[in-house]
Amino acid sequence: MTDTATARTTPSPGRRATAPSPGRARLRRGAIIASFLLPALVVLGALVVYPIVFTVIRSFYDQGGQNFAGWDNYVTMFTNDTTFTAIRNNIMWVIVAPASCTILGLIFAVLLEKLRWKTAFKLIIFMPMAISMLAAGVIFRGMFQESPNLGVVNAALVGINNIFSDSADYPGARPRDGFGIVEDRGVIASADTIAPGGTQDFPLTGIRATSLPDDAAQAIPAANASDTQITGTVFLDVLRGGGGTDGEIEPGKRGLPGIRVDAVAADGSIHGYATTGAGGDFVIDGLAVGAQYTVALPASNFDEGFQGVSWLSASFINGVVILSYIWIWAGFAMVMIASGLSAMDRSLQEASRIDGANEWQVFTRITAPLLSPVLIVVFVTLIINVLKIFDLVYVIPPGASKPAANVIAVEMWTVSFGGGANQGLGSALAILLLVLVLPSMIINVRRFREDRSR
Amino acid sequence: MSDLTLVRPKKTVAQRILGVFSSSIVNIVLLIVAVFWLVPTVGLFITSLRTAGDIAATGWWTVFTAPAQLTVENYTNLLSNTTITGSFLNTIVIAVPTTILVVMIGAIAAYGFAFLQFPGRDWLLIVVIILLAVPLQVALIPLARLFGAIGIFGSVLGVILFHTAFGLPFAIFLLRNFFTQVPTELLEAARIDGAGDWRIFFRVILPLGLPAIASLAIFQFLWTWNDMLVALIFTNSESQPLTVAIQSQLRQYGANLDVLSTGAFVSMIVPLIVFFAFQRYFVQALLAGSQK
Amino acid sequence: MAHRRRQRVVFSLAAIAATGLVVSGCAGGGGGGGSSSAPSGEFAGQTLNVVAAWSGAEQKNFELVLKKFEDDTGAKVNYTSFGDNGPTYIQGQLEGGTPPNIALTGQPALLQSLAAQGDLIPVSDEVKKVVEANYSQSWIDLGSADDQLYGVWFKASNKSTMWYNSDIYDEAGATVPSDWDGFMEQLQLVQDSGFSGISVGADVGWPLTDWFENVYLRTAGGEMYDKLTNHEIPWTDPSVTRALDVMAQLWSSDVLQPGGAQRSFGDAVTEVFGADPKAGTVYEGDFVAGVITTDGNSVVGENALFYDFPAIDGSAPAVVGGGDVAIAFVDDAATMALMKYLASPESAEIWIPEGGLTSPNKAVDSSVYPDAISRQIAEALTSAETFRFDMSDLTPSAFGGTPGQGFWQEMISFYENPSDVAGTQQRLEAAAAAAY
Repeated sequence: MTDTATARTTPSPGRRATAPSPGRARLRRGAIIASFLLPALVVLGALVVYPIVFTVIRSFYDQGGQNFAGWDNYVTMFTNDTTFTAIRNNIMWVIVAPASCTILGLIFAVLLEKLRWKTAFKLIIFMPMAISMLAAGVIFRGMFQESPNLGVVNAALVGINNIFSDSADYPGARPRDGFGIVEDRGVIASADTIAPGGTQDFPLTGIRATSLPDDAAQAIPAANASDTQITGTVFLDVLRGGGGTDGEIEPGKRGLPGIRVDAVAADGSIHGYATTGAGGDFVIDGLAVGAQYTVALPASNFDEGFQGVSWLSASFINGVVILSYIWIWAGFAMVMIASGLSAMDRSLQEASRIDGANEWQVFTRITAPLLSPVLIVVFVTLIINVLKIFDLVYVIPPGASKPAANVIAVEMWTVSFGGGANQGLGSALAILLLVLVLPSMIINVRRFREDRSR
Repeated sequence: MSDLTLVRPKKTVAQRILGVFSSSIVNIVLLIVAVFWLVPTVGLFITSLRTAGDIAATGWWTVFTAPAQLTVENYTNLLSNTTITGSFLNTIVIAVPTTILVVMIGAIAAYGFAFLQFPGRDWLLIVVIILLAVPLQVALIPLARLFGAIGIFGSVLGVILFHTAFGLPFAIFLLRNFFTQVPTELLEAARIDGAGDWRIFFRVILPLGLPAIASLAIFQFLWTWNDMLVALIFTNSESQPLTVAIQSQLRQYGANLDVLSTGAFVSMIVPLIVFFAFQRYFVQALLAGSQK
Repeated sequence: MAHRRRQRVVFSLAAIAATGLVVSGCAGGGGGGGSSSAPSGEFAGQTLNVVAAWSGAEQKNFELVLKKFEDDTGAKVNYTSFGDNGPTYIQGQLEGGTPPNIALTGQPALLQSLAAQGDLIPVSDEVKKVVEANYSQSWIDLGSADDQLYGVWFKASNKSTMWYNSDIYDEAGATVPSDWDGFMEQLQLVQDSGFSGISVGADVGWPLTDWFENVYLRTAGGEMYDKLTNHEIPWTDPSVTRALDVMAQLWSSDVLQPGGAQRSFGDAVTEVFGADPKAGTVYEGDFVAGVITTDGNSVVGENALFYDFPAIDGSAPAVVGGGDVAIAFVDDAATMALMKYLASPESAEIWIPEGGLTSPNKAVDSSVYPDAISRQIAEALTSAETFRFDMSDLTPSAFGGTPGQGFWQEMISFYENPSDVAGTQQRLEAAAAAAY
């Protein structure tokens, strides 16, 4: 293992023969340290630390900022439901997102060495970082929207589903109320049973006249049924331009061809079926005389079918937002790790390959440990970044899912700037965020201690 | 090492096949990954080439079967809009100095934290890194007041300072960790030659640290370029950058996907050019550096 | 060699940095130079900054309005759009000490809070006279705080317009209804003919609050509306129950197009007026016309028409409206002159013919409205027996103006779960109690 300890400025031989006096030397050292560190410390102090102090103080005052409120804001914060959801969501983010990004970035960085088209690949994976978070949020919102006409993901799912299953002829059709037919779980059936020799018509609504198949003709009243038959007509009970009498077959109302009609016995078995003709008329034959049947139109005639998953609903929304984050930040991890890899001295790996180690061993025993400083930087940066996450969570969830997707930074924004202007509470939330960072700092502290002891 | 010639054992046939095999698997897997990765961006790009009415009616994949709907009118509208074109220069004037400042101040501070000894150094470093966690919303009001008091509120300078301050913790964190990787022999050698810290910084650390510095520069440039929140509050109509200008063009009611998608792509071009340029630069620097 | 190259790079980078800082310093110095285009005029050489939410076509039209002022007085007026972020932007500018001369905002609550903070300048007596001559008392009251007049209402919107696609209505044989029961019947006719009766975009929440306000104004009347706005009666009041029950009737019926919870308002308009209409009706204010025109598939006045929000329980014609009010932050003659200009009919009459502006100014000549629809909208607004401003813009912003909480969020929950009237009322009351 190479010695990665911080270099110490040990007094080395060969310095000026005439050493300056200790006092001057110390001053000189102080000046050097200051020259390196002061610009950063001044900028940070004035522009970052000062706002933090301001925020801490502000969190002890009330909404308007004039009256001292003590711990009130903190109490409000912790007794609030939304804050708990926010904290819980942030924890979920911290567990899932940084690890996924780092692992993906590592895999990409290592594997891309093998590609001829590595710059193209790097560019493709990195490109999301160049897109503003707002635009990225808008993209994912659009991709995962419910409607399979507009959202890519559902369009793909529905498309695949349609390859394997048939679509219904008359999606969305409903029975006309009050004419003896009812709808139950997709099946449109007669409300009462009828015996053979009887007729059951099905006046339906909810189908566009322009969506009817070409061969749909004027509805034909059913023929008289013999005592082993049940007849009827399935027709669209709507006249173009309105008017007409509900439930009656009139000129202008068209029959619905191609609908399967079942005669269902009391025990649920299907004793006969028919398919409607061009005028919507059907004849079910072969039935037992005197038996009672329910005449039913199976759901497969009307089923809208799989319309995709509601990705943006409260149940899945966090997954979608985290996915968008990974899409953007895996590129960050990849670029950082790739630059760490490229700065790495290859001779150790070559040596171990010569010694007979296989690729996996080379990776786990040599490459990964050498990469650990970069990995730590990436991982810690991502953890802190994720605790602050704001833009994506603000843009992607639709209103109904916002409470489920809430995170602390969004809550802070809503409370401070979203009209209520309760900066006292907002400041308390900001301090909460800072406090939550501390656990991840423990990793770093340990590392520094280790470094020192080398 | 000794002067034995190093002989690599010949790969067996099996190992060779495995080598080829895994290389093409990698190619295929990464190709699939790349395709999926591209889908959102391609979708956005195609969206920017459609009219608002089309965007609201059908999905962007329909352009493959109905290419007639493609149009560049979104782009011509946006690019002929003087608010937008005027803001371009502002964005550059904000992003470039910020990046340079962050790199310069961050690099020297990182050197200090990596190589200079003083009491409390590590704790100070931890405090600096904790500052990474500060969300910038927290500083909006206090710094607005501060800048107002000293008269730079609304100017580009204010935004530059804001972004520089919030970019420093990451810069210091990253570069310090990178600098500590430098082999001590190089530093020892330089000191033996009588070099003081500043010379070591310029002659030894900076060249070796170029990959990390280049990465840092790319990210800082990107983050500053894409920021909207700070710019919204700290600039006015004269100094507003591209992100704010695009935001101001959004319609209050109705969908804005046409404006947003076009804006996103117009805004993305410069950062991508920067990425490309820096990629090549630090590969070169790398090759130069590795000759040591 | 490499060393010299590095030195050059470092030097040039430093040079760019220095240049950048210098350029930014210069650019940041002042807001636009002092020279104006007009050679002379009362306010020649002065620059005024005006901000509002308008962009695109609306911005162009407003800039035409401002241009006349520039030509008449020699002042230069800069317009900036703050998009969606009005309160944040204004607050930020105030914190930094550079507020605009005039801002136009759609939230009277913001006017009230800024006036209370002392950031607004009351209008001069001259402006006050013009306002009192040209506006009805409701508008004057809406622009005042603590008996001082601060605001001039420039733009108004009629939020009681129910838009429908007449092609679809004709196909279904549906006609313009006059009351709520008739309304539900017509929607059912549309539903039967294969289209959804009505499309709702419940994504953000504010369209749902507008529904509530219209229903409540009709079921409870103007006085109760005012009481509820000021939280003099709680949200658990029976009048609120009645309004929510009426809405529940619609939210739980099948004339409502599914998918509303994730649909944005703009998409709801597209569902009715886009290239492939799937629903027959959509409710919102007169700005729907702008959305329809941008989409380009339907034509306002031809197949895109509207009728007044239906009466409920026999209510008289009532309009819930909104608008944008101009408020001043700087106390000087030029600013007040611009306020006076905005209060006079000439300013509105420049924008009106271009379309997209309904003016609350009584003195405006209604024949300048570009088409029958916009005239119909304007006349419905000015002649309504009962007129009330949008409640959600009058209540404290934390309750009535914020996505993700309060009125907006509870209306979304109610939309998803219309059977829970009592629970919704309780949560609304809790949110209101916290905000007032």
